[in-house]
Amino acid sequence: MKRDTTCYLVVILLTNMTLTSETQEKGEISMTIVRTPEIQLDQVSMLYKTDTTEVLALKDVTVDIKQGEFVSLLGPSGCGKTTLLRIMADLIQPTNGEIKVAGETARTARLAQKYGIVFQSPVLYDWRKVKQNINLPLEMLGVKKAEREDRVDSLLELVGLEDFKDKYPWQLSGGMQQRVAIARALAMEPEILLMDEPFSALDEFSRERLNEELLSIWSKVGSTVVFVTHSIPESIFLSDRVFVLSPHPGRLSSIVDIPLPRPRTQGMRNSPEFFQLISDIRDSFEGV
Amino acid sequence: MEEKPVEKNMGWSDQAIVKTTSKYAKPVSKVSIDKQKSKYKHQLGKKLTQTLLPLIAGVIMIMLWEWQVFHSLFNLQTYQLPLPSTIVEAMIDNRAILLSYAGYTMSEAVLGMLFGSVLGFGFALTATAWPKWGKGGLVLIASLNAVPIVALAPIMNLWFGDGMGSRIAIVTIMTMAAMAINAHKGMSVVDPLALDLMHSYAAKKHEVFRYLRVANSLPFVFTALKINTTASMIGAIVGEFFFSSKGLGYMLSNSIKVAKMPLGWSCIVVAAIAGVVFYLVVERMEKIFLKWHSSQRI
Amino acid sequence: MGMQSVLNRRWLPTFVWIIGLVLFWELASWFLLHVSEAPMAQSKIPYIHELIITFTEYGTTLFIEGRATFSNAAIGFLLGAVLGVTLAVLMSVSKWIEQLTFPYAVASQMIPILGLAPIVYGIMRDEQVARILIAGYITFFPVALNMLRGLRSVDTSALELMYSYAAKPWMIYWKLRFPAALPGLFSGLKIAAPLAVTGAILVELMGAQNGIGVIMLRNLYYGPSHNYMFWSTVIVGAFLGVMSYLIISLLERFLAPWQADFRTNGGDR
Repeated sequence: MKRDTTCYLVVILLTNMTLTSETQEKGEISMTIVRTPEIQLDQVSMLYKTDTTEVLALKDVTVDIKQGEFVSLLGPSGCGKTTLLRIMADLIQPTNGEIKVAGETARTARLAQKYGIVFQSPVLYDWRKVKQNINLPLEMLGVKKAEREDRVDSLLELVGLEDFKDKYPWQLSGGMQQRVAIARALAMEPEILLMDEPFSALDEFSRERLNEELLSIWSKVGSTVVFVTHSIPESIFLSDRVFVLSPHPGRLSSIVDIPLPRPRTQGMRNSPEFFQLISDIRDSFEGV
Repeated sequence: MEEKPVEKNMGWSDQAIVKTTSKYAKPVSKVSIDKQKSKYKHQLGKKLTQTLLPLIAGVIMIMLWEWQVFHSLFNLQTYQLPLPSTIVEAMIDNRAILLSYAGYTMSEAVLGMLFGSVLGFGFALTATAWPKWGKGGLVLIASLNAVPIVALAPIMNLWFGDGMGSRIAIVTIMTMAAMAINAHKGMSVVDPLALDLMHSYAAKKHEVFRYLRVANSLPFVFTALKINTTASMIGAIVGEFFFSSKGLGYMLSNSIKVAKMPLGWSCIVVAAIAGVVFYLVVERMEKIFLKWHSSQRI
Repeated sequence: MGMQSVLNRRWLPTFVWIIGLVLFWELASWFLLHVSEAPMAQSKIPYIHELIITFTEYGTTLFIEGRATFSNAAIGFLLGAVLGVTLAVLMSVSKWIEQLTFPYAVASQMIPILGLAPIVYGIMRDEQVARILIAGYITFFPVALNMLRGLRSVDTSALELMYSYAAKPWMIYWKLRFPAALPGLFSGLKIAAPLAVTGAILVELMGAQNGIGVIMLRNLYYGPSHNYMFWSTVIVGAFLGVMSYLIISLLERFLAPWQADFRTNGGDR
């Protein structure tokens, strides 16, 4: 118990330091990846209560995610990975434990508009055309109109949807809709990108292509990414580290480093290291 | 308000966690009877405020009305807006005639609704069976929905005389459109895979209707029936305003003409009660007939 | 050519139906007049060509009276719609107001609300005010209920997105809830618009100086000699109701064009 608090103090000091340095050299973060803690969870638990039952969705999860890092939360359904993401996003509060984002509470981070979220479904607003959907967060931030248009254009280019900017969401395929959702999440240049199984509704081919596109986008923007998935290959292909969660109750069972070099290519999916990593992660499930 | 997260924090306390984790080896999906009881109590309380609040508000309104607060506020006389006590008095004095008139008006409404719904359903069947020409006809029937009933009343009076028949005709026309549109929607939004299944059974057209389309349209049919209960009451009452010598509508407009306001109001009260009862009966029927449908699951 | 084919595909059946009905009507009128020799035959089913002649003769009168009815209905309708939307927003903002008013709003859907018209007329005694008031309060409840349904139709993820932007409450209404509620609002308005016209005509039938209902009643009392004029007023009344619906539908197409019903491709409806 005592050890925890001292650790905690050190963490606060560290994060405060990074905060000041970050404001000075914001532009260079993507180039020189400053490996300092961005998101920290300390002994986080989540208990859901319904009328008749109580479910412990998360139990004592302690995690820290570095700045500019790409991590995946991997696990079967019911392991609480989405709950964990929602706690990070300040959409729900944990029943126990602490969460710090860049040294502050998750709420402060949300109010400072540091988050970009991509949900399982695209959640595009039906009444807005593609470009207006991407525009939405910029309007909320109060960005000037001329600047908004420039930014939307470059985002459309980034996700390869320039030709579809004047279409309504229903005129797009599922994969395209999800790319719009990603562009929207990136619009306010979020420090942290939270993605909740964004590609799970897509077929395997589109999914692999979008995985690669996501990585190339990420290499340009350099946000911290937390990516929830139940696909082992997807988590390996994308991440620096994979956090493996196990269910009943949801808890962190292991953390697997992915030493594959970047940029990642589709060819890597067939490499022996890749297969080794798959079986390593699978083994870590067996152990549960 | 902005600070609130989407999911409400339902007051999970640390204590609760300790309790569950210590009591049970596995704290997942355990039912605690104590908790259930208190939860039930809580819900009961919630329900109580939910019904009590509007009820109290209603009672206060009636009391303000009775004490002539509204009268002095809007500069009204009691012969313009009668007091609740005099309305109740009028209701009691005329209870026999009110009851028989209510029966008269209700039978117009129910009969008209039956005819209208059957006709509307028939139109929907035809329009689904022969879509190309049927849909064109359906557009015309739908436009009946927008025709003011008061314009229909004199014509129906010319056609069917000033007896019950003219009101039944008005109600029939008013209820037909809603049923035709809704039933048609229900029959045409059939799951394409279910149609394929029928196809694989080499089902004939009428068999597809019998086993698939009609069943699929039932929830829509009940929606239409619920809309039509109110519409049929309005049709019957408004139809009676002008060319009738019986019924709640007749008595209502007549009492206003001869300045018997309390009696007019008591007609409205009876009509409202009849309308609510009619609606609840149809809703009850829906519950019985649509047990299989997801909208009825809790 | 392309235009023509669209016309053929979509409106030809309706067009044929209308022609067929008109022919049937003329036939029935002839039958009643010359074959069965029914009393008041032309009052029951008048010749349509005679009606057209009446329309050309008395078009101005019909137009002026129709306009009086329609504008009164429109004022009441707008008033009722604004109040209905306001109540819906209040209900969605405050649990208190919702609990207080929701049961009454629902009950209002179950009772024959037009029956209150004579009473309102009895209280007001002023035809102008009574017309507007009745049109307004008929509009009020359907609009309030449907608008509330629309405001609540917003799905959780869309709301969470707004929270993730740290959106202020009024921002959430402006950017999310209002646009999402538009289809609901319009379905309420479409129900209410013909009803508002009905209410206005109803007041005119009970006694007023001008309006289509007034000349309808007058010509009805004049008897068979005025039957074509009477039928013309009925047609104008019906036309006003249909018009009010079409105007709202057209507005909906402009203001809420994204809805599934308006999509041209996909779906077999």
